[in-house]
Amino acid sequence: MKLNQLAWRNIWRRKRRTLITAFSIGFGVMLSVTFTGSGDYTYTQMIDMGASMGMGHVTVEPLDYQLKPTLDKRLSETDTLRQQIFALDGVVDATVRITGQAMFASARKSIGGAFIAVDPAFEKPDNNLLLRSLVEGEMFAEKDGRGIVIGSKLAEKLHVKIGKKVVYTTTDAHGEIVSNIARITGLFLTGIDMVDGNMALLPIASVQKTLGYAADEASVIAVIISDQRHAEAMRDSIAALPQAKNAAVLTWKKAQPDLAGVIAFDKAGNYISQFLVGLLIAVGILNTMLMSVLERNREFGVMMAVGMSPGTLFRLVMVESFWLAVVGLILGIIITAPWYYYLYYTGIDLSGTFGSDFSYGGVLVDPVFKARLFRESIIAILAGVFLLALLAGLYPAWRAGRVPPIESLKTI
Amino acid sequence: MKMLLCLLALFLTSPCLATEDNTLKERTRDILNKVDDLWRGESSYAVVSMQVKTEHYSRNMRMEGWSKGKEKTLFRVLEPLREKGTMTLKSDNHIFTYLPKTDRTIRLTSGMMMGSWMGSHLTNDDLVKEARLEEDYDAEISFEGMRDNQQIIEFTLTPKADAPVVWGKLSLIILADGYTPLVEMYYDEDMALARTFIFSGMKMLGGRERPAILRVTPADKPDEFTEFIYEKLELNIPLSDAMFSKASLKNR
Repeated sequence: MKLNQLAWRNIWRRKRRTLITAFSIGFGVMLSVTFTGSGDYTYTQMIDMGASMGMGHVTVEPLDYQLKPTLDKRLSETDTLRQQIFALDGVVDATVRITGQAMFASARKSIGGAFIAVDPAFEKPDNNLLLRSLVEGEMFAEKDGRGIVIGSKLAEKLHVKIGKKVVYTTTDAHGEIVSNIARITGLFLTGIDMVDGNMALLPIASVQKTLGYAADEASVIAVIISDQRHAEAMRDSIAALPQAKNAAVLTWKKAQPDLAGVIAFDKAGNYISQFLVGLLIAVGILNTMLMSVLERNREFGVMMAVGMSPGTLFRLVMVESFWLAVVGLILGIIITAPWYYYLYYTGIDLSGTFGSDFSYGGVLVDPVFKARLFRESIIAILAGVFLLALLAGLYPAWRAGRVPPIESLKTI
Repeated sequence: MKMLLCLLALFLTSPCLATEDNTLKERTRDILNKVDDLWRGESSYAVVSMQVKTEHYSRNMRMEGWSKGKEKTLFRVLEPLREKGTMTLKSDNHIFTYLPKTDRTIRLTSGMMMGSWMGSHLTNDDLVKEARLEEDYDAEISFEGMRDNQQIIEFTLTPKADAPVVWGKLSLIILADGYTPLVEMYYDEDMALARTFIFSGMKMLGGRERPAILRVTPADKPDEFTEFIYEKLELNIPLSDAMFSKASLKNR
């Protein structure tokens, strides 16, 4: 029908108004892309970072370990389970670890902290944040040696340097107090005070011996996956493995509830501000459309007088809204593209406002404001803005259909 | 023939060297055990007052203690009144604390082992490890003779390679006559002094002259100290094993 053409011509009868409205839609797209994009980027980065801090995106651990992480609870036959998990689609890495609390002591001081016992053969800088942050020395090479890699803040507090002795004391599988010595081979500095002042990496076989574990017993299998958003699906497929039936399988949301909480909170704030921006844009569109309907009262009256039905008029105005939305989106894409490109590759450096501790919710955050959109987010933004424009057109369209022909013809 | 003689000589001297080495070791162990038994004996009962002075607080305490063998020790606070009845039981590797006010017995966890024992400069871990010196260290006599007008013996205790101890070495100086300890020094791994135990105040205790005062001074805080003063000591008295059980803490 001619309705499309008519509507298209109608919106361009007032070029300036249409353009201003289109720009406000475009601006909405830009804001939404900025918010959502930085969220997508930052959350993914935080989650991946959190995963590399020891527990992975998906954690396999003994039942009830989450509630009471004592070292008498342990997984058995971890090697077979690890191989089975590693064979799953989407798994980048699976590492067997023992996590626990320990007291670290030097001749000068003793400090409570936590350890992650690892097999150096499986630990790489990209699956272990602590190794990525080594500032001095190196990772120990043997899994049954006496090496230890500790946080540089912890080393400072203990007054120890590389090559020095540290005694760690912990509670073994039977509840007995056990201690062993280790010599520092490396120091790490992540920038998170909680980690630098508390954590240490120990060789897994030595720890197993100290704790009275068998060689294939451990407390955690940390699974790193290629896309953090598939953590739930991965959890289900790992839990379905027959080997894993006596273990608890958790996603990072359960294993790192503080991180999940921070992200959920931030997301909620993000949604609220996006909603407010959307509301403003919708009111803008509503205003424009209502104006254009009200000023065309006489015109609509004539159209009705010559036989156009109220329904057709309603549709006419809706199509006008549609075109306005399309123009707005195209404009939005044009103005957002360079901005997004800039945020994607360069970003805005906020390190000045952060101070020296770049952590949030217990994980390290990149102090550069960057944006990365997921494909779903792009679709959601475009569809959302489009829908908003159509919704805002509903009331003006309804008004247009209700114009009384005779009265409107009487007025000028 | 010459060869044979050589071999013979070798055979004769080597076991001889070995026994000499062994006797030296035995002697070292013997003396150290004697030093150790000075306050302990087979079993013991003692009344000790403890004075702690730190930068932030000072406290005085009187307590009585029993011990049986090396592995069992029980302390009960007598003064101040506020803490009267608080008990510490050390049995093998475990330490229990009993608080009469709440009627609770707490077994110290690994995290509490390095904590200070009753606010003093000793840790709970010191109480446990003290009895294991022989297990964790290689002892040797590093000096024997006159020093500062006293006939002394100096022992150097080096931790065994895999012993879970934080110290670099221990040095213990005793009087050659009567094996009375004078000083015990703890060094860190850089062989810098970490803390000093000084024994003094010879007094008649449990039937013979023994040093009655033990003063612990951390090297990095020379103004602080913990002092133990023996008021009474009875050795080799009959004590039952049941006394050193967790259950007996509540009944006392």
